[in-house]
Amino acid sequence: MKDIDLSIGDGEFLIILGPSGCGKSTLLRLIAGFDKATSGDVRVGGRSVVAPGMDRGMVFQDLENSLYPWLSARENVGFGLRVNRVPNPERKQRTDEALQMVNLSIHGDKFPDNLSGGMKQRVQIARMLAMRPDIMLMDEPFAALDAQTRHVMQQQLVAIWTEVKRTAIYVTHDIREALNLGQRIVLMTAGPNAGIKQEYLVPLTYPRNQVASTYLNLFTAISRDIEEEVTKVWS
Amino acid sequence: MRNMKELRNLLQGPGVRLWAAILSVLFGMALWEIAARLWIDPFFLPPLSAIFLGAFELLKKGLLLENIRISLVRILSGFFLGSLVAIPLGLIIGRSLVMRSIFDPYIHFLRFIPALALTSLFLVWFGVGELAKIFQVMYATGFVVVMSTATGVVTTHKNKVLAAQTLGASPWQIFWLVIVPSAIPSIYVGMRLALAGSFLVIVAVEMLAAESGLGYLIWTSKIYFKIDWMFVGIFLLGALGLLADYLWKLVGQHVLRRYVRESANY
Repeated sequence: MKDIDLSIGDGEFLIILGPSGCGKSTLLRLIAGFDKATSGDVRVGGRSVVAPGMDRGMVFQDLENSLYPWLSARENVGFGLRVNRVPNPERKQRTDEALQMVNLSIHGDKFPDNLSGGMKQRVQIARMLAMRPDIMLMDEPFAALDAQTRHVMQQQLVAIWTEVKRTAIYVTHDIREALNLGQRIVLMTAGPNAGIKQEYLVPLTYPRNQVASTYLNLFTAISRDIEEEVTKVWS
Repeated sequence: MRNMKELRNLLQGPGVRLWAAILSVLFGMALWEIAARLWIDPFFLPPLSAIFLGAFELLKKGLLLENIRISLVRILSGFFLGSLVAIPLGLIIGRSLVMRSIFDPYIHFLRFIPALALTSLFLVWFGVGELAKIFQVMYATGFVVVMSTATGVVTTHKNKVLAAQTLGASPWQIFWLVIVPSAIPSIYVGMRLALAGSFLVIVAVEMLAAESGLGYLIWTSKIYFKIDWMFVGIFLLGALGLLADYLWKLVGQHVLRRYVRESANY
């Protein structure tokens, strides 16, 4: 990646969109503090990011390897509170609250092996919510789910974001998903030396009306721009 | 068609499968008994009844239980002590590259030297007592468990560690609450293999350098031409191994269930 200059507002829902291999996940990992940039830096609230921190929560794309399979859904959600030695009444209350936000209260005692893909991702989201991070980072969390589940999850996520009023940074390669979720969409150019190609504001209310003309116009514009990038790689 | 399907389901149900196993064993035993009485020279293959009588004979002489006890104590103490050394070592070398560089040359060199090659040496070093035998079982157990433990550590998916970091876990908490639980299935399977390995080693050691134990019983039966006693020893090894493995499986399915999960299903 090269020459990326991006500011994200407090409470914003930002989408990082781009073709495969453009470095959108890498950008997210830089923000999370998992990787270090060779030059330049990432600042959160004025402070440079040097390592992962509790102010930035993460939801991984991988369904199978991101939860702790030896812990129940509830224990997974409470893991962060446990390692931070949050005392029990509060821990229980925040865990229950997070499970409720993702509609998993009745499945709390199940283990990840016994949960569907969509449920696993909801546990991941609840695990993040329980920590009340300032920034919610999500790396294609619904990419491995079927289309119907994905759509329902998108609506749930918007509802959660509206409720918690935290910054959300969401990586996807799916234009429709980007338009259903984001207030602002950053389209990346194809790698190597990927950068930001274009930014789009989505001036629409939630839930998004997928046949509104603004929606359709944005869809067409973004499709055309992405296609340009993909063709560049192929030619 | 429907009846056929019901019949098939019935035939594949758990009750039928249990009976099939029991009948299969009974059939095998009956075949053995008949073959040994009618066709085969009982010197080579004594009938099962003779083997049972041999077992009674040994029991009355006080040799049977004593030899079982001695062998089991050697196997189990070697197995558990070996694992006690191997698991922490495996966790450390799996986690720390420096420690891996320090220990790896020894581990990978020594693990190709069979425990049996060391029998005489251990006899010289540790004497004729139990210590030498237990050390040999530890030696045989240890490498398998070290390898499986370290493999379990290094195959811990990085997302699990990264997630813990974003949740505010310290390196120490990540080690105990993420790495160790992730490695348990691998440790569990490694110990199960090592358990079988410790049976193999102890028998050979008892044949070569002991005055007691099931291996010794089998070895000396040859000298007295007591083929039936030999079979008693052989059967007991099979039965004790099966029992130990079954108990280990129960540990996996109950005590360690949330960690081991499918690994305990076979």
